[in-house]
Amino acid sequence: MSNFKRASMAGAGPKSASSSAAMAAGGHNKNGSILNALRATTMIDSKPVLPAEILVTILDYLPVSDLLRFARTSRRMREMVYDDTRWVARLRSMGVWDEVEARRRFEEVMKRRREAAERAERERLAAAAAAAGTTVGAMGMPIGRGQPFPGQSLELFPGLQQQQQYPPPPVITTTLFDAGEEELRRKKIAEEKAQREQAIQAAAQRRAVEEMEGLQDGFETMKVGGGGGGGALLPTAQPQKDPFSDPEALLNVVKNARSIRGHARQEYGKIYGALAPFYFDLAKAKSHTDPVVFRVFRDPERQAQMLANLRTFAKSDWAAGWRQREEKLATMAGIFESAVLHEFETGYEFWDVDGRMHKYAHVLDLLNGGTAAVELFIQKHPIFSDKEVLANPMECVNQALADDVTLEPSRRFFEVLTAKVNEQADIINRVFPKPAEVFWLLMGKIRDDILTDYVTPLFDETHERSLAAYVKAVSGLFEQTLQFFRTVNAPKNEKNPKEQEELAKEFALKAFEQHLDLYLADELDYFTQQAEAEVGEWEKKLSEQDATAESFYMGSFTNRQADKKDFLTSFRKVVMMPVSVLPSLPLGSPFASKPATTPTTATAAAANGGELQAPENPEQSRPVSPSLTAPVIADRTGSPLPDKAPTDELAAKAALMTSRLEGIKSLFSIEVALSLVHKAKSSLGRAAVFIQLGGQAGGEAREQCEAIFVALLRILGGRHIKPGFDKAVAHLSQYNPREVSHHDKGGVAPLVTFIELVNVGDLISQMIDVFYEQQLTTPKIADRNDFLDPAGLAKKKFEQMLDESVAAGLNKGIDVLMDEVEYVCATTQQPTDYNPTMTTDPFNDAASISGMSVTTEGTSTTTNSSSNNRKSRYKSGTPSIWSLPSLPGTPTTPGGSSGTTTNSLGPQQDIGPTPTAFRIRDLVASHTSMLTGSTDKSMLDVFNGEVGLRLFAAVCKHLKRQRISTEGAIKLIADVNLYYEYIRTLKNNDLLAYFKALRELSQIYLIDAKHHAKEMATIIADNERFSGVFRAEEVYEYAERRADWYSVRKEVERAMYGLECLVM
Amino acid sequence: MAENDERALQRVSLQSNDGQIITVDRVVAERSLLIKNLIEDLGDEAVMNEAIPLPNVNEPVLRKVVEWCEHHRKDPPQTTEDENDSRKKSTEIDEWDQKFMQVDQEMLFEIILAANYMDIKPLLDVGCKTVANMIKGKSPDEIRKTFNITNDFTPEEEEQIRRENEWAEDR
Repeated sequence: MSNFKRASMAGAGPKSASSSAAMAAGGHNKNGSILNALRATTMIDSKPVLPAEILVTILDYLPVSDLLRFARTSRRMREMVYDDTRWVARLRSMGVWDEVEARRRFEEVMKRRREAAERAERERLAAAAAAAGTTVGAMGMPIGRGQPFPGQSLELFPGLQQQQQYPPPPVITTTLFDAGEEELRRKKIAEEKAQREQAIQAAAQRRAVEEMEGLQDGFETMKVGGGGGGGALLPTAQPQKDPFSDPEALLNVVKNARSIRGHARQEYGKIYGALAPFYFDLAKAKSHTDPVVFRVFRDPERQAQMLANLRTFAKSDWAAGWRQREEKLATMAGIFESAVLHEFETGYEFWDVDGRMHKYAHVLDLLNGGTAAVELFIQKHPIFSDKEVLANPMECVNQALADDVTLEPSRRFFEVLTAKVNEQADIINRVFPKPAEVFWLLMGKIRDDILTDYVTPLFDETHERSLAAYVKAVSGLFEQTLQFFRTVNAPKNEKNPKEQEELAKEFALKAFEQHLDLYLADELDYFTQQAEAEVGEWEKKLSEQDATAESFYMGSFTNRQADKKDFLTSFRKVVMMPVSVLPSLPLGSPFASKPATTPTTATAAAANGGELQAPENPEQSRPVSPSLTAPVIADRTGSPLPDKAPTDELAAKAALMTSRLEGIKSLFSIEVALSLVHKAKSSLGRAAVFIQLGGQAGGEAREQCEAIFVALLRILGGRHIKPGFDKAVAHLSQYNPREVSHHDKGGVAPLVTFIELVNVGDLISQMIDVFYEQQLTTPKIADRNDFLDPAGLAKKKFEQMLDESVAAGLNKGIDVLMDEVEYVCATTQQPTDYNPTMTTDPFNDAASISGMSVTTEGTSTTTNSSSNNRKSRYKSGTPSIWSLPSLPGTPTTPGGSSGTTTNSLGPQQDIGPTPTAFRIRDLVASHTSMLTGSTDKSMLDVFNGEVGLRLFAAVCKHLKRQRISTEGAIKLIADVNLYYEYIRTLKNNDLLAYFKALRELSQIYLIDAKHHAKEMATIIADNERFSGVFRAEEVYEYAERRADWYSVRKEVERAMYGLECLVM
Repeated sequence: MAENDERALQRVSLQSNDGQIITVDRVVAERSLLIKNLIEDLGDEAVMNEAIPLPNVNEPVLRKVVEWCEHHRKDPPQTTEDENDSRKKSTEIDEWDQKFMQVDQEMLFEIILAANYMDIKPLLDVGCKTVANMIKGKSPDEIRKTFNITNDFTPEEEEQIRRENEWAEDR
């Protein structure tokens, strides 16, 4: 229409055709020439006949009645009017045309028609001889059909006969549709029409009864489609009809409309026939009492239904004057609505739930969805002024201790609210046709008015008072809110099955949206602050303790062996515990509330409300853990400040030194770590509540949880553990065994404490691991498989830091341990051990006495410890003295198994290892075993290997300082065997080879060199015997340590070199 | 803006099929999409210097059309893509247009055809509405006369159509 080319293509007239030709010609040579071309065109005809295009446009502006009258003017006009799209558009404008349905129907029909066509083809061939003749249908589409068309149905509904203009021969007719389908449909339509006719007649009758005279003509036109065929129709249809159900058909005419291609006009006709009279009548009505629709339908439900229908129908009216008609309709509907609303309100005031409220809510729903009633209901709802519900949020603050908040009042508040809302849900169910929508609207208002009013001042107040109370309040109230929305008995919503769960989350999120960001930031701040404070306070305490310890140790001295042993045992227990204990620790408790978040009953909600407080309160959960922390605390308070003060100044200094090293285990404390973890856990527990919201808010909460974990590791690792380790390593490297008085404790104090430190570190690491698993991975806060996950990264970094610290410490530890070993070798090995024939020298008298006291365990008195000390100074000053041949007759013999007691028995009686060997073995063994299970296996292997090698070197070095007689060789062999047995327990084959060689080596002292110099020379030169560990020269060096070397040297050397030379 | 002002001052000559030249403001002429597109295609000079021939339109009709365009020169430009909404509800014919359309039927049809040819949709709509109003309430016979339609129905056929659409008969 707007396009002239199209007009010309429609063949509208010679004018447009020629113009288009002109334009086409002009297209070739542009600009001026086109004008010439246009000018050259001559006009042929000027008689105005409107082209079809324009006619079609004109028809669009025609009212329906005129439109159909227009159809009667000629065949072409009829086609134009009957064009299906025209009617589909009207149906569509009313929202009753379903394209999907139409297509499905069409395809079904097409399928059947194909089948029918095939059948027909066969039959037609058969019937060709009969030559009954084919007919051409109105649509100009001759399609043979095999099925006899029942004449009766044609009579039934003549209105549809436009497609069979010629009286159908019994056998063949033409139509777009399959006969069966057509027939069925027609029957249905006929029935419906009949039904409607019935309805109209009934209505007319009733109206007649209602003595309305001016409406007569309005209803006459409603004898739809019945005019011609009514006679045939009525006898069949009427008996089944119940006159009372007739108005229903009228009411449902819009709903019952079907989408059939090619029959849109008929469908529209049905609706038009039913509604147009009312519509036009209403449009003409002067007052609200006039319209027929209010008189035909007496009860408000039907009136509402009809008004809704008319409103729909009005959408298909676009003929001139539609605006006035629609306005009129809207006015009428408005008057009607306010009247009904008034009734509803009165009912509301009297709380007439099942009576007026129910009735008029449904009426309004029929009319326009009932929003007015819902709004009124919610706006005027008594719950918003209910004194019981409106609690004072400040109770939560006032009833709690300072800087705290109790959620008990809020729990009660929610309890009351839940009860009230459930009551309302029931009422809504009874009143409204779509209870779910109304209910959630009400909930929205409750959230905006009641909940926000309760929550916001509380948050503001707590935020002002203290961060701790604030985070607790936000998280707790959120959980309660979510619980509230989840557990209210919302009416079921069939139409929109959006889960209550989702709605609950949505609502809770909306209620807390404004607080969420602030809260999450504060939660992290709060945790960081707390953790920093914890570590800071601990550091402060430690430095105070250091000071007091210093002054204390200056004055007194004590042996804290027992304390330490106690600690070690309890500590070991602790080390073994974490994996089994931690999960059952309060770690689990913040999430214990999780399973309880889906209960449906109010009691469960209440229980959960109570449970909620558990994670908020670390004190509550702490009592579960004393088994873990108590021994540590007890020991820590007991050990650094022993009650007996050291008397000797030197000893006191040494004790102080020891105390510093002992202090390693107070360099960082598992207690602090535990408390940090607890804090992190409660923070995490609070923030994690928000994760379940999902979406952006949930994601933010999740990120924040990870941030808390990262902060935990940062503070615990960077602020607490790392400096502790650094300090410990520094202390270790300062260790000098010669300055330490007590070497009888079965361990190198700083190393033991360092190993304790490793254990503590390992324990903490395990704790963190469990924490990560429990708190971050299990609730899906962190993804273990995501290697970019900040929490995972932080954890890895933390573990790496720990490993590095341990490795650095162990490196130092080995040095210290070996220092100690050497020291023990130098101080306790009696020259007579390996050379019992020696005479005692005067120095050694004292030494042997003090040696006894050294090895006397645990009962050291002031006197012997001082003498011991003096002696050790002396010794350390001149260690070489021990390698000198000393006077024989000093009977020093090893004790039983532990080497802690010394018996002054004759040297000849015992052939076991020397006490020195026992002590060294125990020293090394105890340290290596202490590490077992506390650190990485591979690191432990490396450590053991290193210790073994260094031990070997130390023993070798030691050996070179001794004089060994043939008798003493037995002892030496026993010693070496002891080491060998010990090394075997380490299960390190490379290491074992060294000690095997050492064992072999020790045998050279056993040989009676005077008589077997030759054999000895062979052994010295026998590289294979030592499997490459010792070279011949080295073995020779060892051989020099024989007590009788100088007497046998010549023999041996001759055997080694001379003899061989001779042979050669 | 300067270009717009300049454009507002420009004048365009239109030539009817009987050789008459009517000069109008360019904005007025551009109410017709045909002319608007023509100017765009050919360029300003070509059009400014020569009269645009409108071979389908005679002088009286062209004058009538120009009169309408002058009156509606300030209307918002018509959009081309609301083809689909053509069935949408129409606004009523305003008073001036009603008076404007009070012409004999032949002229009315000529205006509609010219509007169609020159692609002036609002004018076409007004014309169609006017025609629709003419049809309103008329019997088929009257309609046939008005529109010069030959009846090719038999009386039975016509009666049948009447019957099957009886539902629409009101009043």
